[in-house]
Amino acid sequence: MKLKNSFTFLLMSVLAVVMLYPFGFMINTSFKSKAQFLGEPGHSLISWRKIFSVMPVGQQLLNSTLVCAGAIAIILFVSSLAGFALAKLTFRFSPVVLLGIVGAMLIPLQSIIIPAYINASNWHLLSGYWAAILVYAALGTPFATFLMTSYFRGIPDELIEAAVVDGLSYANVFRRIALPLSVPALITIVVLQFIQIWDDLLVGLLFLQDQNYRTITVGLGALASGRTTDVTVLMAGSIISAIPAIVVYLIFQKQLVNGLTAGIGK
Amino acid sequence: MRTSALHQQRARTGMLFSAPAFLLVAAFLGLPIYQAMYYSMTKWDGIVSKWIGPDTFIREFKSPIFWRVLENNALLLLAVPVAIIVPMGIAYMLNEKVVGWKFFRTIYFLPTAISWVVIGMVSLRFFAQQGLLNDLLKGFGLGFIHTDLLSSERGALVAVGITFIWSMVGTNSIIFLTGMATLDMSLNEAARMDGANSLRIFWNITLPQLKRFIQFSFIITVISAFTALFSLIFVMTGGGPGFGTTTLEFFVYQSAFSRGNFGMGAMLGVILFFIMAILGSAQLLLIRNKE
Repeated sequence: MKLKNSFTFLLMSVLAVVMLYPFGFMINTSFKSKAQFLGEPGHSLISWRKIFSVMPVGQQLLNSTLVCAGAIAIILFVSSLAGFALAKLTFRFSPVVLLGIVGAMLIPLQSIIIPAYINASNWHLLSGYWAAILVYAALGTPFATFLMTSYFRGIPDELIEAAVVDGLSYANVFRRIALPLSVPALITIVVLQFIQIWDDLLVGLLFLQDQNYRTITVGLGALASGRTTDVTVLMAGSIISAIPAIVVYLIFQKQLVNGLTAGIGK
Repeated sequence: MRTSALHQQRARTGMLFSAPAFLLVAAFLGLPIYQAMYYSMTKWDGIVSKWIGPDTFIREFKSPIFWRVLENNALLLLAVPVAIIVPMGIAYMLNEKVVGWKFFRTIYFLPTAISWVVIGMVSLRFFAQQGLLNDLLKGFGLGFIHTDLLSSERGALVAVGITFIWSMVGTNSIIFLTGMATLDMSLNEAARMDGANSLRIFWNITLPQLKRFIQFSFIITVISAFTALFSLIFVMTGGGPGFGTTTLEFFVYQSAFSRGNFGMGAMLGVILFFIMAILGSAQLLLIRNKE
C-alpha cells in the first residue's frame, strides 16, 4: 500500500511538471532579450519594458475590467430575475420561455457571429464597449438562467407564500428573501463568466473595433497573429494578461468547480 | 376572489421578470441565428444581399475545400477519447488522496483559467523547429528524431490536437473528480472481499457509476473540439499551412472577415449549427435509450 502511494505521488509529480511547464517557460522567456532567447546566456528586463511600449497595457487591463464588469452585471440582473420568475412565478408560457432561453446554449457562437456583427454595426454599437458587453451578456445568460432557475427551485414555496400573505409584493420577496439566499449561485456565475470573458478572443476581436477599447486578450491575440513581435515580449504580455484570471481561479476554485459541474443531472 | 387576483399578480410579475433575459437572448442569439439561415441562401457582402436559394449549399457540398475542412474536424475528434481517458486517470490518482493531492489538484485545474491565446503562443514555441519538443528529444538522447510538426498540414493538426488535449485536462479532471466523490465505496469493499482485483473493480463497479459523468465530459469535449478552438488556431497556425488546421469554426471567420464573403460565412455557420444540433440530439437519444 505504501509503495503504491509513493508511485502515485511520483506520477502526479511528473504530471505536475507537464502542466506547469508552460508557465515556467513563459516566466523564463519573458526575462530574456531576443538574443538571449536564441541562445545567449543571461537574463534581462528588456522584454518587460518593451511590452509596455508595443501595447497600451494599462488601458487594455482597464478595458478588460470594464467589459467584464458590464457584461457580468447584466447577466446577474437578467438571470436572477428570470431564474426567480421561471422557478417560482410560473405563468402559462413559462416552460416555453425557459426552454427558449436555456436552449440558446446550443447555438455555437460562430453560427451567429456574422449576423450579430452586421446588426451591431447597423445599430451603431460598434464604436464603444457596448456591442461586446451585450454579446458577452447574451452568451452568458442561458447558462446563468439555467443555474439560477435550478437554485431558486430549491427554495420552498411556503417561504414565499408566507411572505406574500404577510403583505410583501413579489418584487420585495425577490429582493429581500430570494436574492440574499442565492448569493452562492451568483458568485459561481461571476467567477465562471469572469474567466470566460477575460480569456475570450473572438467576440472582442470583432465587436471592439476601436483599438482603444480592446481588451488585453484581444490586444495580445492581435499582436501574436501579426508575427512581428518577439516571443520574449509576447510572453511578458501573456503573463500580465493571465494573472487576473489565475488569481480569481486560486481564490474561487470551489465556486468555479461548482459552475463547471452544474450541468450534470442528478 | 382574492387568490385569483394574487394569482394574476404572480403571473404578471413572472412575465415581467423573465422578459429582460428573454429579450437579450432573442436579440443577440435568436435573431442572428434566424438571419444566418436566411442569409445562407443569399449572396451577401454584409450590405447588399441577393437571394439564390439552396444552391449555395449544393455548391459548397461540391467544393473539395469544404470537405477538407470537415476532415480536419473529424480528425480532431480523434483527440476526444484521449482527452477523456487521461483526465479520468488523473482524477483516479487524485482520489487516492495521497500527500499533497490538493496542491496537485490546483495545478492540474490551472489551464481552465488560461486563455487559448496564451496557450496557443506557448504551444507554438513548443512545437517549433528550434522549439522545446526537439530540445526535449535531444535531452533524452533521441536527437535523431527531429520534429517539425507545424510546417506540414497533418503535423500542424497533430500539434493543435495535442494542445487541445493538454488544455482539456483541467475541466475533465474536475468532472471526474466530482464523479468519484459520489461513488459508493461499500461496493468496492464487497467486491474486494469476493476477491476482485483493482482493475476489475474499476471496470465493473467504478466505471458504470461514472456513466453520467463520462457522458457529460464527452459532450463538453466534443463541443469544445468543434467550437472552442478558434483562438488557439488563430494564434498558433492561422488555419494553415494551406488548409491544414482550418476547422469549420475557423472557416466561418475566414470566409466572412478575411475574404468578405458574408453569405458563405453565414452558411458555414448554419452548417456548424446543424452539426451541433444533430450531435446534441444523438446524445439525447443515446441517454434516453439506455434508461
